[in-house]
Amino acid sequence: MRRTVLSLPASVVVLVGLLAVPASLQERAAAPPGKGGVGDIVGPYEVPDPKWPAWAHPYPKPGYIWGSQGGVFAESPNRIYLANRGELKLPDTVPPNFPGNWGFFNQQAATVPIANMVNCIVVVDGEGRLIEAWNQWDHLFEWGRGPHQIYISPYDPERHVWVVDDMRHVIFKFSHDGKRLVQTIGILDEFGDNDDLTRLRRPTMIDWLPDGTFFVADGYGNTRVVKYDRDGKPLMKWGTRGTGPGQFNTPHGIAVGGSPARVFVSDRGNRRIQVFDVNGRFLDEWPGIAPHSMMMSADEHVWAVDSISDRIVKFDLSGHVEFSFGQFGTRPGYTWAMHQISADQDGNLFISEVFGGRTQKYRPKPGANPTHLVRGRSLTPMGGSTR
Amino acid sequence: MNATAPTSRHLASAELATGRWRVGMLALALAAVSAGAASAQARPDFAGTWTHASSVPANYPGSNGWGIPSPTIVITQSAGELAIESGQFGKQPMKVVFKLDGTDTIWEAPSASQSGNAAIVKWRTKASWDGSRLVLYTWNTALNQMRDIMSLSGNTLTIVRATEQPGPSTNATLTYNRR
Repeated sequence: MRRTVLSLPASVVVLVGLLAVPASLQERAAAPPGKGGVGDIVGPYEVPDPKWPAWAHPYPKPGYIWGSQGGVFAESPNRIYLANRGELKLPDTVPPNFPGNWGFFNQQAATVPIANMVNCIVVVDGEGRLIEAWNQWDHLFEWGRGPHQIYISPYDPERHVWVVDDMRHVIFKFSHDGKRLVQTIGILDEFGDNDDLTRLRRPTMIDWLPDGTFFVADGYGNTRVVKYDRDGKPLMKWGTRGTGPGQFNTPHGIAVGGSPARVFVSDRGNRRIQVFDVNGRFLDEWPGIAPHSMMMSADEHVWAVDSISDRIVKFDLSGHVEFSFGQFGTRPGYTWAMHQISADQDGNLFISEVFGGRTQKYRPKPGANPTHLVRGRSLTPMGGSTR
Repeated sequence: MNATAPTSRHLASAELATGRWRVGMLALALAAVSAGAASAQARPDFAGTWTHASSVPANYPGSNGWGIPSPTIVITQSAGELAIESGQFGKQPMKVVFKLDGTDTIWEAPSASQSGNAAIVKWRTKASWDGSRLVLYTWNTALNQMRDIMSLSGNTLTIVRATEQPGPSTNATLTYNRR
């Protein structure tokens, strides 16, 4: 069944026009954060602190700045994992109003210039102060473009940290403290085609069932979803290249939830979300949105970050839009290519931006409508039993 | 010790056993020779000068000419190495060496980056045999990646090529004729 999820055609035209204008020019014409543009900019949240995370300001090392921010995951209000695609050299002179993020220069930070793969995975507290820097694993990212996204399964009592690396064609599973690389899904640096269950081809995202079964969107190179058992053994795959039901063009995001469980796949290149059962049977499609990433919330909604409109959209599990906010830009509160969102137990929302080159922390406004807040799924207590 | 003269039955049995042993050894020897021959057959010699004979796929080349079918490629091959001289590694023709023992070769050379600007970057190659096919990977830190699966049939070289870069993936089957 097709559903009209967003009245996008007009807004897409407007936004494409906006995207074609340099960010600095566009923002001079834009209203201050909080009002204006094509809709609510920060929704139920307060304008973020532009200096968050504290550790990244002024800069990781003199003359350098964080580049593309692939992912963020809030394990708790005081333990937030940041996936950084390396550091970039700042110009010799920067203007006095430079806010500290690469997006200010109107360059897409995702692939150019070539970044130094240092400080790729760091952990900060709620104030953005550095807790851990997993520099021991920086070498893993040297032949790629850095971590794509980062997660902890809500159902894992050991709270392993999973990092997807698209350009090296693998998913790394680390121990919670980052001291051990526990498992690698796929074969490092080798890419396989759609029928190859051993290799991936630029995987993008991952999500889990309560029993530890997980699903990988694969990805930029392949056009499929791969299902694994809890030990990482590939079980099956589905999807081919195309535009029909069960076909994909850049499956970039994935979220799992509902009862019975369903697999929601962002079919980004085809500008739709497709819905499947856990064995890959096509159930539905929601057209008109091309999410970079999706997230299943604690209240069983799919939150999608749309690459077309730069808006965060809340869907019920039948595909109805319940709420949305956000706008393109590089000033605080605006976003440029949201790539992963995560929410802690206090209601704070974290958004990483691959082109904006930053991760922002949004705090709920006092009295905010709770149904408009992104609610992160509860994690299994450390050492606890799986559900 | 009670020695007993061998009976004809014993002799027959012993001869039979000896005969079986000989047959077994012969079979093993034949198997070894056969395996060697198969191995030799499985490792074709790609050396030569090759001219591109297939149509250029619609989605080629990749970014900055990466993976473009070179009109001519020159391959030299020894027991331990295979070298390809061609223009398929970007805008500038270059010679790329693959060790055939499965280990990496790493060096530095110019490459067009994803912005199109040339820069000195690290390159890496790896080769592995898959039966009679040779699987070659080439990567560089400008985010260009290529997988070539090479096979030989008479005077025709087939390369099944897949490339990856931050932009679209490409896949193609390329054929080359021996010059």
